[in-house]
Formats: sequence, structure tokens, C-alpha cells
Amino acid sequence: MKLAGNDMLIQSLINEGVEYIFGYPGGAALHIYDSIFNQSEMQHILVRHEQGATHAADGYARATGKPGVVMVTSGPGATNAITGIATAFMDSIPMVVISGQVQSHLIGTDAFQETDMIGISRPIVKHSFTVDHQSNIPQIVKEAFHIATSGRQGPVVIDIPKDLTNPDDLFDYEYPKEVNIRSYNPPIKPEATQIERVVDAIFNSKKPVIYAGGGTISSNASKELIELNSYINVPVTNTLMGLGVYPATDDKFMGMLGMHGTYQANMAMHNADLILAIGARFDDRITNTPEKFAPKAQIVHFDVDHSSVSKIIEADIAVFGQVKDSLQAINKLIKDRLPELDITKFDDWHAQISKWKSEHGLNHNLYKDSSDENLILPQAAVQHIYQESKGKAFVTSDVGQHQMFAAQYYHFDEPRKWINSGGLGTMGFGLPSAMGVKLAYPDEEVICITGEGSIQMCIQELSTCSQYKLPIKIFNINNLALGMVKQWQDMNYDGRHSSISYEDSLPDFKELAESYGHVGIKITKNSDLKKGIEEAFSIKDKLVFVDIYVDPNEHVYPMLVAPNGSLKDMWLAKGSKT
Amino acid sequence: MIERQLTLIMENKPGALARVVGLFHQRGYNIDSLHVDSIEDFIPYKFIEDELDVKFSKGEVSRLVIKTTVADTLMRQILRQINKLIEVIAVSDEDSTYLKGILRDENLL
Ligand SMILES: Cc1ncc(C[n+]2csc(CCOP(=O)(O)OP(=O)(O)O)c2C)c(N)n1
Ligand SMILES: [Mg+2]
Repeated sequence: MKLAGNDMLIQSLINEGVEYIFGYPGGAALHIYDSIFNQSEMQHILVRHEQGATHAADGYARATGKPGVVMVTSGPGATNAITGIATAFMDSIPMVVISGQVQSHLIGTDAFQETDMIGISRPIVKHSFTVDHQSNIPQIVKEAFHIATSGRQGPVVIDIPKDLTNPDDLFDYEYPKEVNIRSYNPPIKPEATQIERVVDAIFNSKKPVIYAGGGTISSNASKELIELNSYINVPVTNTLMGLGVYPATDDKFMGMLGMHGTYQANMAMHNADLILAIGARFDDRITNTPEKFAPKAQIVHFDVDHSSVSKIIEADIAVFGQVKDSLQAINKLIKDRLPELDITKFDDWHAQISKWKSEHGLNHNLYKDSSDENLILPQAAVQHIYQESKGKAFVTSDVGQHQMFAAQYYHFDEPRKWINSGGLGTMGFGLPSAMGVKLAYPDEEVICITGEGSIQMCIQELSTCSQYKLPIKIFNINNLALGMVKQWQDMNYDGRHSSISYEDSLPDFKELAESYGHVGIKITKNSDLKKGIEEAFSIKDKLVFVDIYVDPNEHVYPMLVAPNGSLKDMWLAKGSKT
Repeated sequence: MIERQLTLIMENKPGALARVVGLFHQRGYNIDSLHVDSIEDFIPYKFIEDELDVKFSKGEVSRLVIKTTVADTLMRQILRQINKLIEVIAVSDEDSTYLKGILRDENLL
């Protein structure tokens, strides 16, 4: 078959099984958009800003495990995509971004809308390609998808000059069946000796903790993790990125750890004699001061990426490979050796954790207070959302206090249901990522828990939601301020509130949503909270924007004491620390 | 902190060198010296061809020698970060080598 470059590109995406492309057209991408017009196998979603396209593709990828696909034009189209690429990179999300480029003969001349996309994106991609000839397009697309979705996943950019998509130049097209990149890592299998050492370590421990992160989700290893704990029955904590990989309603789950982790999870990590770090990377929001991290623990680290192991915290036992393979190997060996393990030896440890939980655990019953003597608590708003959605929804979030409250108070029982920008912490992520999730799962409830600061960073996507009829539910936890920044200013700058208020300039979000054709609900009183959230969930066919005015003075607790603190050093309430 | 030498065998593709140099900057390591050659004589690298079951042709692969002054603990991290670059076939320091992602406990390059 002979095809022109533009058709080759599109045909290659079809061959990859792509359902949706998120993008925005422009000069350098015009030939490609003509090919998109001429086919019906993939749907192009026209966003309102390229950042929205990347986050939508990212949300699609996080929810489905399949790579998200983005199409942008050169210059400003490409630069607008950068924040979303960096977001996906930090959280190891598979994504393929195709950027138009000026014609080959203009490259390097400061041509109209020329920008060095490969150069700009280099530090935030897993890999990138410049198309140098039409006949290489199928191979490049194949390699790009392979790289994005294998090993430690991540975004891949393909930059393609306009002349190489010219519809008049035809070349042979055949989509490669296999891909073999000779310089690229083969899948690593976990070593049997390491697996044995891990099982010995578990059997010899008295205070073990499982600390599982986003890598366990990327590796689709939730089932294996649950199976492992069905044998060894030890306390589990998840990172912000790992929430849902172990059921939150299981009695062995201690909640999230780290900066805003639960008291019992942080205390358990600090006092553990064995930490099984599974697809987690000891981020600085987890360790607090690395030198003071878990002083008594032996560290076992499971990771697919060699460079993540012993980067921050030295591992005593490293198991390289896909977490799923490693856990399967562990489970097999443990099953054989199960008679050696007496799980009652962990009883004292469980009792200690229960004690910590009863002392300073989170209060999950705040939603029961509906008295108007109190302002609405943001924590209670999240609890109501959890109750009303029966814990079954996909929840995307933005960045700030609302995000931490969502992570703390919505119990995720399944992986890929909690979708947030953990590594980069990108405000503006919530709404567009929810669009990607809703397109992937049109029959599921998709919720975005956001703040009035974050939502305004990509609020233009409300228009995209009306065009494609995406009935997402947006809960705007409105504290009239950049709450998380304000909290830091309260705690570290004697309450000097520098640039965290919009003064009187906030829009009426209810009316704003309505002007896009959506339903708007405004809730200002505690006694209206339950009713308002119920009403939102009763509306099935429209996007509902629920603007909830909450107590502007709430802080997120626990919060690790920094600098120089360990995991046992936490603020537990205003003015009170461990 | 002592001066350490790294040797890389990598695909000679546009932009590949920039990825290596960029990585040093991005991760906060300094380059003391850098030397790049296109490999003409493949005999010393026959073990790589055998291992990967490939045949290199002239001009296809480059050899980079980088000198950098870093703490020992950071050296391992640099090696692992470089190993992650898709176009790097092998990378070694004085006492270890990553060959297509697999670690060996000697300098093979
Ligand atoms: C793009 C971007 N800019 C700045 C920040 C820094 N930042 C982190 S949280 C936050 C405040 C967010 O305010 P809002 O969305 O209203 O959430 P709240 O904390 O009030 O719940 C800011 C400015 C960021 N994370 N992302
Ligand atoms: Mg706010």
C-alpha cells in the first residue's frame, strides 16, 4: 500500500488501536488534520488549550492503562503541551505526543511558529523522535508506543516537519508487527536468590510494613499485592500515587503515608523493622529527612527502574523487574513455605498500630454534623461525596488542600480510580483528566474534586465538556484562597498571607457553569450540604458543577514537621505536634 | 570526590549526544571533559555484537568518554541514569558496566 506521510501517521495510530486523540490544530499540523478528517476509526477530541489535551490523554491513560495520544501544532501548540508532558513524566504515565514542526528546509531559521520541541521537551520525556523521512513513520510510531508502554512507562514525543506529511508524496506503507530496539532494555526478570532473601526477611520480621506506590498500579499488580497480604497479613500503606492498589476499606490498610499521611501510617513506617517498598520511590514527601527515615528498618525495594533503587534510601535487598512478576514469584515461594510462618507473631504490631489509630487517626464521621453553627468542613464535603458515590467513582483531583482531603477521606478500593498529579503537582490537571476518564468509561461516575484556584487553570475545558457531552461531576472545594499556600504561610510565615486571595474577583461558578450549558449548584450552608450533593448525583446526563463554600481557615493535618523532621514528627492540629 | 571516567557506547543518532549532556546538567552533575568518536574498529566490541545478536556498521555507533568529579555514591546513580537513555547500548565506570540494561561487575568497555 502506498500512502502519504499524513495518512501514514494516522494509519499507524489506527494500527496501534488508538481510540481517541486529544489535540488542537494549527499550520504545521494541517495535513495531519486532513487525514484525521478522512477517517472514522479514531475520534479527535478538540480541547480548548493544549495543556488540556495532555491532561485528558493522561487521565485516559491512568484510568485504562493504555497510552494517551496527543496531537499539537508547532510553536505555541507544542509549548502549551509542555506542562502536561512533564506531569505525565513525573508520574510515569504512558503517552505519545505528536507535534507538528515547520518544514524541514525552514528548521533553524526562526521560521514562523518554529520552536525546538525536541530540545524543550528533552528533560521531561522518556524518549523523543524527529521524523526524517516518510518511510520511517510506521517504525517510529511503533517504537514510540513500545517505549511509552514498556519498562518504566512515560511520555514520548514525535516531532514531524510539515513537508513530511505532504499529501502528494506517496511511499510504501506497512505497519511493523514487532519492534526490537537493540539499545533498549529487555524486560528484566526478578532474580530467584533475591526473592528468597525477601521471603526470609518477611519470615524473620516482627514489625513489617508494605509501602506500595504508583509503580504497583502501572504494573497492574494490585491482585498480586492483595494475594501476598492474604498470606502474610501485615499492615499496608499507600503513597498518594498508589491509593487504591490495596483496598482502603481492608482492616490492614493504614491510609496514605508521608507529608499528609495518617498518624498510624507514618508511625508504623518509623518504627518498622522491615519495609517492603513496592513500586514506590522514596520521594521527599514520603521520607521527610532521609537520614532520619525509618531508622530500624531493613529496606526491600521492588522496582522496574534501577535508578530509583538506592537513590534516596539505600536498599538492603533490591528486586529489579516488573512489580507484577516479582510479586508473583514471591507469592509462589511463600505459598510453598507457608507452614513456616506464624502470623500471630505480628499481633503485638497490629495492636500497636490500632492504638496509634485510636489516638490520632482521622475522623471519618465529620459528615454527620449538619448544624449551621459550623461552616462546612472541606473534609466533611469529601466524606459526603464518598458516601453518595458509594466509593465507586473515578476521582480526579487538582493540587492543594482539597487534593489532600480527597486522598485522606475518599476510600479507594480499586486501582486506577484515584487520578491526580502526584509528582509534578500540576494545578489544572483535574478537569481535563476527568474528560479523558469519562471518554474511556462513559457509564461510570467520574468526579473531579478541585479548588477554586486550580479549576481556573483549565476552566476553558468546560466548553469541551459541553461539546462532547461529558457528564462529569465537579466539586469545587471553595475556600476563597490558594489554601495550601495560605496554610504554609500560617505555619511558617506568621500568617503573612502574601498573594493567596483573589479579593472580590472570583466568578459565580454556578452561573459560569450554566453559561456553558451545564448545571450549577451552589452550597453555602452546612445544613444544605447533603441535599446539594445528593442532587448532584441524581443528575445523570449533564455535567454538574457544585460550588461548595467551605471554612477558609481549615488546615490539612497530619503534616510532617520540616525541615529536619522524621516520619514520627507531625503536626496533628493547629499548634499541636507529636 | 575523585575524578571518575565513564565510557559509553551509543547509537550515533541526531540528538543522542544532547541527551547525555542534558542529563548531566538536569541531574546536577558536572562534566570535566568529554570526548566523542564514531567507532571504526569493532573488534574490541565484538562481545556486544554477540551478546545483542547484532552487527554494527561503520558510522552507526559512537563511543563517548566523559570525565566527571563526583562522590562514589553518586557515581552509581549517574551510571543508572545514563543506562536509562534509550540510545545508550552500554555504559561503564571503572568497576561496572551496564550492557543493554543488565549490570556486570567489571569494566567491559
Ligand atoms: C501550576 C501550579 N502553580 C502553582 C502551584 C503551587 N500551589 C500548590 S497548591 C496551591 C493552591 C491551590 O489552590 P486551590 O486550587 O484553591 O486549592 P486549595 O489548597 O485552596 O484547596 C498552589 C498555588 C502548583 N501546584 N501548580
Ligand atoms: Mg482554594
